Amino acid sequence: MTKRKMFIRMITASLTRRRSRMLVALLAIAVGATILSGLVTIYYDVPRQMGAQFRNYGANMIFTSAESDKDFSRDNIEEAAAVISSGDMVGMTPYRYETVRIHEQPIVAAGMDVEGAKITSPYWHVEGEWPSSPNEALVGEEVAALLGLSTGDTFNALYTPREDEETEEDVLNMGVDMTVSGILNTGGSEEEYVYMSMEDLESIVGGDPRFDLVELSVSASQEKLTSYVDTISGGDFGVSAKLVKRVTQSESTVLTKLQALVFLVTAVVLILTMICVATTMTAVVTERRKEIGLRKALGASDKSIIKEFMGEGLLLGGIGGIIGAVLGFLLAQFVSTRVFSSSIAFQPLILPATIIISILVTGISCFLPVRSAIEVDPALVLKGE
Amino acid sequence: MFFRMIKGAFTRQWKKMLMIALTIALGASLATAMLNVMMDVGDKVNQELKTYGANINVVPKTSSVVDNLYEVEEGEDANTAYLLESELGNIKTIFWAFNIVDFAPFISTSAELSSGEEVKINGTWFNHHMDLPTGESLDTGIQNLRTWWDVTDGSWLNEQQAGSENSVMVGSVLAERAGIKAGDTINVNAGGKDYSLTVAGIYSSGDDADEQIYGIMDMVQEMADKDGYLSNIEVSAITTPDNELVIKAAKDPGSLTISQYETWYCTAYVSSICYQIQEVITDSVASPVRQVADSEGAILEKTELLMLLITVLSLVGSALGITNLVTASVMERSNEIGLLKAVGARDSAISGLVLTEIVITGIFGAVIGYFAGFGFAQIIGHTVFGSAIEMKPFVIPIVAVLVVIVTLAGSIPAIRMLLRLRPAEVLHGR
Amino acid sequence: MSLLELKNITKRYGNLKALDNVNLKVEQGEWVAIMGPSGSGKSTLMNIIGCMDKPTEGEVLLDGADIAKVSDKELTAIRRDKIGLVFQQFHLVNYLTALENVMVSQYYHSIPDEEEALMALERVGLKDRAKHLPSQLSGGEQQRVCIARALINHPEIILADEPTGNLDEANENIVLDIFRQLHKEGATLVVVTHDPEVGEIAERLIILEHGVIKSETKSSAADDAVIK
Repeated sequence: MTKRKMFIRMITASLTRRRSRMLVALLAIAVGATILSGLVTIYYDVPRQMGAQFRNYGANMIFTSAESDKDFSRDNIEEAAAVISSGDMVGMTPYRYETVRIHEQPIVAAGMDVEGAKITSPYWHVEGEWPSSPNEALVGEEVAALLGLSTGDTFNALYTPREDEETEEDVLNMGVDMTVSGILNTGGSEEEYVYMSMEDLESIVGGDPRFDLVELSVSASQEKLTSYVDTISGGDFGVSAKLVKRVTQSESTVLTKLQALVFLVTAVVLILTMICVATTMTAVVTERRKEIGLRKALGASDKSIIKEFMGEGLLLGGIGGIIGAVLGFLLAQFVSTRVFSSSIAFQPLILPATIIISILVTGISCFLPVRSAIEVDPALVLKGE
Repeated sequence: MFFRMIKGAFTRQWKKMLMIALTIALGASLATAMLNVMMDVGDKVNQELKTYGANINVVPKTSSVVDNLYEVEEGEDANTAYLLESELGNIKTIFWAFNIVDFAPFISTSAELSSGEEVKINGTWFNHHMDLPTGESLDTGIQNLRTWWDVTDGSWLNEQQAGSENSVMVGSVLAERAGIKAGDTINVNAGGKDYSLTVAGIYSSGDDADEQIYGIMDMVQEMADKDGYLSNIEVSAITTPDNELVIKAAKDPGSLTISQYETWYCTAYVSSICYQIQEVITDSVASPVRQVADSEGAILEKTELLMLLITVLSLVGSALGITNLVTASVMERSNEIGLLKAVGARDSAISGLVLTEIVITGIFGAVIGYFAGFGFAQIIGHTVFGSAIEMKPFVIPIVAVLVVIVTLAGSIPAIRMLLRLRPAEVLHGR
Repeated sequence: MSLLELKNITKRYGNLKALDNVNLKVEQGEWVAIMGPSGSGKSTLMNIIGCMDKPTEGEVLLDGADIAKVSDKELTAIRRDKIGLVFQQFHLVNYLTALENVMVSQYYHSIPDEEEALMALERVGLKDRAKHLPSQLSGGEQQRVCIARALINHPEIILADEPTGNLDEANENIVLDIFRQLHKEGATLVVVTHDPEVGEIAERLIILEHGVIKSETKSSAADDAVIK
């Protein structure tokens, strides 16, 4: 039998035949590693997950025509929007504003992409339904109060052409009958408008499709947003992009703080957990002082004793680390689904890092008590109780 | 004798006891820090979210918006369409006054620049000092409500500085177009009178305000001939995320039962704060700014839940760790327990002895841990939020109960296991 | 030249003199017993002979080399190569089988050899208990494993500290029979004991009192016992 075989035999014997003690140690390491990998995974995913929550504030970027009196087309918008990576793009809604006459009152009507608006304006409270079929409109609360409209009512919308505009007679005189699908409540100026699908607005107004502005909700860091804006405005898209400062600035302030919070909490928890693992390992090793004394009396060199104990410790650290890394990911996944109702991004680097750190921590917390134990005179350890 | 033995254990085995105490102290400090941070995180994050600006907008019952839509001429029937400036202080007298962080009144009118361009000029508070009916005083205004404004030239208008009566701040787009710089004097005509205004600063806001001018309340009221009247008030309040009760209350507070009503009224929901503001401001409608209020709710809820889960998990983790160590250290004492059994000690006497030792150690560790945790919480508070974390007194019993449960859970199974051993086996080291 | 020679050994612990100018020679193949009451310096003497401690003054010559002067590391190496230790409390590694406990000694000495370890166990009559853990063995059996472990590397001296102290009479006799057998085969035995019966069967009995050798008697009981 080679020395190495005996070495492995001793370590496996120690791990398998001292089962309860080893389980105690393994449990400590695995718990530590679980917390490590779980919290670090959460820490890395917080900006992304929280960023998604911040999209509740709605659009953080707007597109307008590069030249103020020139319209821009859907092609312009789509080309410009392609600059933003699809992973960052949360939603995009083009708007067109026209003044129409309803019950002889001049009211601003907005044509929009209904599905897009649900995403870029998640804070809109709609009493009733969003427009889903042609000739349905969402009426702002102020307008509804002014015109005495409620859900289900119909109204006639007539286009008031600008003075210099030429419009076909029938559009001017007939108007279009619209049904109120819901009342919009936002607490802001949106309540002063009537919203409908782009097609409906076009049928009221007539003429070619055009857009006034596009609202975009982009989930990205402040720097990335700025670079998108610069690329789009600087490029030849015929589009001028601007950040909604109120949203982006505040988001980056709050998000930075939140991330710092999770970072510090993670750091504190980790330090304490590591110390806990270390004390448990120390207790487990200190218990075996007598055995160390015996091995010394049998003529083991300090080096070989350290080697054996470290072999055991590192093996435990490795096993605990692997268990912890896997459990930690599941734990992070659990937290993520509970808090953010979305699954967490797997960070491949955390897996090996957890295993290495748990091996290091276990190794160090094994090494120190072993080293102090081998300094003791073997005769003293063996004689006394 | 019992106490002598315990004393003996502490004097002779102080190193081991110290290690247990240290580990319990670590666990207790973790629990203290995490629980305190968790309980305060809502308020702290809420404060941070105030950077999004006001979450409540107060307008007159007959809204100014309607005036605009009707294109009613200014000055007509002013009493019903405006709020009273004299009632502003009442906002800080409502039940949730403490939660009102900032507020600012607004009034606007149009003015003509010397170039002939028509601009919107808003009167507001910048850093207004006001003495409240309660005897307190406060400084509030848009300097806190427009945190996203970038003052690109000059500085924020300081209301408290003498001679600031005719100062204004000009939006960056307008300033660029009209060639206005900080320190310039501009002449405007409003309400048929000429004013000469000093530009204190140029701001960039990224919205319509970039095309407007902001000045002191009194001056704009004079321009608009609306002395003592306001068009709206923006209020920034710390609120609790909405729930079912709120949805019911939002429709009609009258539909609630008395106890529901009390819960609702005495909780800082945005709707109850709005309701209370309406009670103190004549003919007003206070409504939540959905963009801010809803998002705040969502973010707060997520942050609190996240912190709660992290806290629970780290507590479970450290509890397991400590239980483990206590088990390991009790098992280590098999010899001593065997000996006690050999000399005829009853099981209950042995358990009592070991448990007393462990619990005394635990209490000792917990006290140290509590203060260490206090320190950790303050480090987190100051580093992240730049303010102290409020120490909740009921964290103390929670931590105490946790420590007792954890130490008992760690020692009882180990003691039971050791008691089952026959003394001879233990003493012969088998 | 003697196998082991202690010249003017003094060992002090602070002000206390545990050994005071002790001179002792052990020849190859001798069986020496060291007796004395508690506190007589027995254990200290044994630690010095067993290369686990060094004297404050004097020379310890083992195979002609002075171990009082070497470093701790070298002392460990000498202990490994030349001394086989048997303890009163057996001191077996409790998670290793009897066979593995013997092999641990081989492992530190040179190369583990299962066959040889099994033969050593056979010699102490425990071949069929090789796969048992210490907790499954009786006290006598544990002590025999301990002896097998001491023998395995063919040490110059087998040093036993109260080898029968924790054993009943039957087991004591088994252990003493093994010693007799070893002595017959030419092993050098040093036995520290306070049991006169164990002391008297040795070739030479040294009585220690207050750190000084009080008396030295030769007997032939050991050989007689084997013959009988």
